[in-house]
Amino acid sequence: MSAFMKPHSAAGWATLLLAVIIILLGLPLVYMGAELAFLGGSLYYVVCGLVVTVAGVLMAMGRPAGGLLYLGACAFTWLWAFWEVGLDGWGLLPRVFGPTLLAIGVALCLPVLRRAEQARTTHVREVA
Amino acid sequence: MMSNHTPILRTLLLGATIIAGTAGVSALAQVPPADQPPGNGNATVSPGTPTPPQDAFSPPSPNAPQAPGVNAANIPDGPPAEPSEATPMVEQVTANPAHDDWPGYGRDDRATRYSPLDQITPSNVGHLKRAFIYHTGSKPAPGQVNKWAAETTPIKVGDGLYMCSAMNDMMRIDPATGKEVWHFHANEKYDSIPYTAACKAVVYYTSSTVPEGEHCHHRILEATLDERLIEVDSEDGKVCEGFGWHGMVNLMKGMGESVPGFVAETAPPPIVNGAIITNQEVLDGQRRWAPSGVIRGYDAETGRFLWAWDVNRPHEHGEPKEGEHYSRGTPNSWAAMIGDNALGLVYVPTGNSAADYYSAMRSPEENKVSSAVVAIDVKTGEPRWVFQTVHKDVWDYDIGSQPTLMDFTKPDGSSVPALIMPTKRGQTFVLDRRTGEPVLPVEERPAPSPGMVPGDTRAPTQPWSVGMPRLGFAPLKEADMWGMSPIDQLYCRLKYRRAHYVGEFTPPSIDKPWLEYPGYNGGSDWGSVAYDEKTGILIANWNNTPMYDQLVSRKKADKLGLMPVDDPNYKPGGGGAEGAGAMAETPYGIVVSPFWDEYTGMMCNRPPYGMITAIDMHTQKVLWQHPLGSARANGPFGLPTHLPLTIGTPNNGGPVITAGGLIFVAATTDNMIHAFDIHTGREVWNDVLPGGGQATPMTYEYKGKQYVAIMAGGHHFMMTPVTDDLVVYALDNVN
Repeated sequence: MSAFMKPHSAAGWATLLLAVIIILLGLPLVYMGAELAFLGGSLYYVVCGLVVTVAGVLMAMGRPAGGLLYLGACAFTWLWAFWEVGLDGWGLLPRVFGPTLLAIGVALCLPVLRRAEQARTTHVREVA
Repeated sequence: MMSNHTPILRTLLLGATIIAGTAGVSALAQVPPADQPPGNGNATVSPGTPTPPQDAFSPPSPNAPQAPGVNAANIPDGPPAEPSEATPMVEQVTANPAHDDWPGYGRDDRATRYSPLDQITPSNVGHLKRAFIYHTGSKPAPGQVNKWAAETTPIKVGDGLYMCSAMNDMMRIDPATGKEVWHFHANEKYDSIPYTAACKAVVYYTSSTVPEGEHCHHRILEATLDERLIEVDSEDGKVCEGFGWHGMVNLMKGMGESVPGFVAETAPPPIVNGAIITNQEVLDGQRRWAPSGVIRGYDAETGRFLWAWDVNRPHEHGEPKEGEHYSRGTPNSWAAMIGDNALGLVYVPTGNSAADYYSAMRSPEENKVSSAVVAIDVKTGEPRWVFQTVHKDVWDYDIGSQPTLMDFTKPDGSSVPALIMPTKRGQTFVLDRRTGEPVLPVEERPAPSPGMVPGDTRAPTQPWSVGMPRLGFAPLKEADMWGMSPIDQLYCRLKYRRAHYVGEFTPPSIDKPWLEYPGYNGGSDWGSVAYDEKTGILIANWNNTPMYDQLVSRKKADKLGLMPVDDPNYKPGGGGAEGAGAMAETPYGIVVSPFWDEYTGMMCNRPPYGMITAIDMHTQKVLWQHPLGSARANGPFGLPTHLPLTIGTPNNGGPVITAGGLIFVAATTDNMIHAFDIHTGREVWNDVLPGGGQATPMTYEYKGKQYVAIMAGGHHFMMTPVTDDLVVYALDNVN
C-alpha cells in the first residue's frame, strides 16, 4: 500500500518495525479488552488498545502524529496506573514498564517520522 | 444427589440399596434413600451383578477384598484384638527436652518449634557455614516421574541425629560430622508413593517394659508410605522384635479395597499415654468411596491394636470383622497430630471426605467432623470434642498444620490450656484443649449459599477467628491482577472476570470456573507455626496463592481422561491429588489449577505470594509482617530472574525460633534458608541450598556447638530442585 512509509535507512526500518510491533501489541488489547469491558471489567484496555493500534498504523504511514498519539497514550497510562494502584511498585510494573520502554523507542523514532512526513509532503507537492 | 448419575454410579447405588440397615445416611435431606453409600464399613453383601463398564472408570467394589500386594510390604495382619488400653508409658524425652536436643518433630510435646539454644544470634549469624551435608539416598531414579518432597525434620536426642528418607529408610547420623551410624532399609516400592514421597519425621520412644541397656529400650518409630508402623532400636537400627510382626504393624488391615499409593502415612505418629495414634493421607479427588480416613491407636510397646475412631461407625471402636472394612470415603487426616498426656487426648486435624469438591453424598457424621480439630480420648477412641474450621468444605481446606499447644492467659489472669490451630484459610483458631471452646472470639459469618450445584447446598455461615490477626489479604479485585506487561495482565483480568467470584467461600460451579481464594496451599499448610512461650511471640509463614477450579460433568471428566488411582487404566499424572481429579462415583470431576497465566507460568494475582508474620499472643497484635522469599529462582516461563528482590514466594515448611533471638525458615521457592531477627523481622542471614528447602529446619547443640539442619529435599509440586541433601550449618568461629 502506497500509504505506508518506504524506509531508506536503518532508522527507517527500525521505525517501521516498531510501528508493526505496536500494532501487534495493540490488537490483542482491543480484542481481549472488548471482552473484558463486556464482562464488566476495566474499559482502559479496549480504549487504550484502539488508540495504540491507530498510533501504530499512523506511524507505519510515516506520520509523526502516530508517535505523538502513542506518547499521549503512554502518559495517560501512567495517570491511569497511579489512579488504579497508587505508588505501588509491583502494581505499576505490568502497567507502565513495557509501555514506557516502547515510548522511549517511539520518542527516538519521532525525527524519522518527521523526515518521512517532510519527504512525503515534498513529494506530494511535486506531484501536484 | 443429582438426577444425572452416570449409569455405572446408578448400578453401584442400586447395589448399595440391597444392603439393609445402612446407618445414618437417610437423614441427609437432599439424598433420596436410593442413593445410600455402599455400606458404612459393615457391608458384607456384594453390590449386585456387575454390568459392563459404560464409563471410563469401572470401579472396583468398595466391598471387594484387598488384593494381595496392596499391603506392599507383604506383612501379615496383626492378630485380632478387642478395643483395649495401652501399656502404661514412662515419661518421654519430648516432655522436657534436654537443653541441647530437638527430640520430636515440633521439638517438644507442645510442638512449639522453639529451642533454648542461644549460641547463634543476630550479630554472629553471618558466620554460619556448612558443617556437613548428609545424603539420605532417596531421590527419583532416571525415568521415574518426580513425586519427591522429603519434607523431613531430623530429631536429635543425646548423641544421635535421627531421620527418615523420603522413602522411609531410617538412619542415625553423628550430629557433629554427618557420618552415618546405621541405616535401616524400608525397601519401599515406587508404587507406594501417594501424591508425594515424604517422611516428615521419626518418633523417639522409650520403652516402659524393656529395661535400660537392653535392645529396644530406646526406639525409633516411623509410619510409612506403604502403611506400616516400624520400630527399630535407637542404638543399632535393628527392628524391635517385640513390636508387631518383626518390628512392623500392617496398617492396611481393615482398610478394604485399595491399591498401593492410595493410602499413605507421611507424618510422625504421636505417642500419647502409651498409644501410637495413626492417621493417613488418602489421595484426594479419586473416588467417593475411597479407603477410610479412620484414626487408630496401637500399643507403643507391642504394636497391638487398641481402638479405632471410624466416622461412619461412630461408636464401634473395634476392628472390622472378617470381610468388612472401615467406613469408606470418610474425612482423612494427613497433618501431624499432637498429643496431650495430661488430658489423655490426641488432637486430630482432619481433612475432608473423599471427593473434596462435592458434598451431597456425605453423611451427617462426616459433615460434623470434616476440616475440624477432633479431640479423641486415647483410652477409648471416643471423640471428646470437635471444633470445625470449615462447614461442608468443598474447597480442599483440609487442615495441613500441626496444632501447637500453649497456656493462654486470660484478661482476668487465669490460665487456660489452649491449642493454636492454623488453617489453610489463614484463620488461626485458639481453643480450650479441655472443651474445644474458642478462647479467642469466633464468629459465624454469612457465607455464599445455597451455591450453584444442584442438590449440593453450601453452609449458610462459616467460622471466622476474629480475635486473631488474619494470615491473609482482602478479597481479590480485578485491579489485583498482575503480569509482566499490559497484555498478560489483561489476560489475567479476563480470567478473573470469566470466573465466579464472590469472595471467600465462592461456591463450586459447573458452567464456568470459580476462584478459590485463599487457595488450598494456604494460609498455613503443613509447615505449621512456632511459638516462644517466654515472650508470647508466634511466628507463622503463609501463602497467598489463589486457585482456579471448575466442576466438570462426568462425560467431560472422561474425555479429559480423569480416572482414579485404582482404575486399571490409571497412569501416573492422569489425575493427581492436587490437580484435576476424577471424583468417580459422584456426578462431577474436578479441574483445579493455580490461578495463573498458563503461558508465562506466573501467578495471576500480584505479589506477594508468601509472607511471614510475628504475632504477640498476649495482645493478638501483629508485631511485624513482610513478604518471604526472593525472586532469584523464579520468573516468567520458569526462568530464574537472579534478582535479589524480596517478592514473597509460595512457601512450604515451618519456622523455628531460638532463644538467640532468631527465626530460621527455608520453605520458599527461591531455594534459600533464611534467618530473621525475631524482634525486628529483619533478614540477617541467608544461604542458597542445593535443592528446595521445603521442610521445617531444626537446631541442636552437640559438644558445645550449635547446629542448624535443613532438609533441602525440594518439592515436585513447588517445582523446586529435588535432592537427598540434609544441609547442616554451624558457626565457623566456634570450636
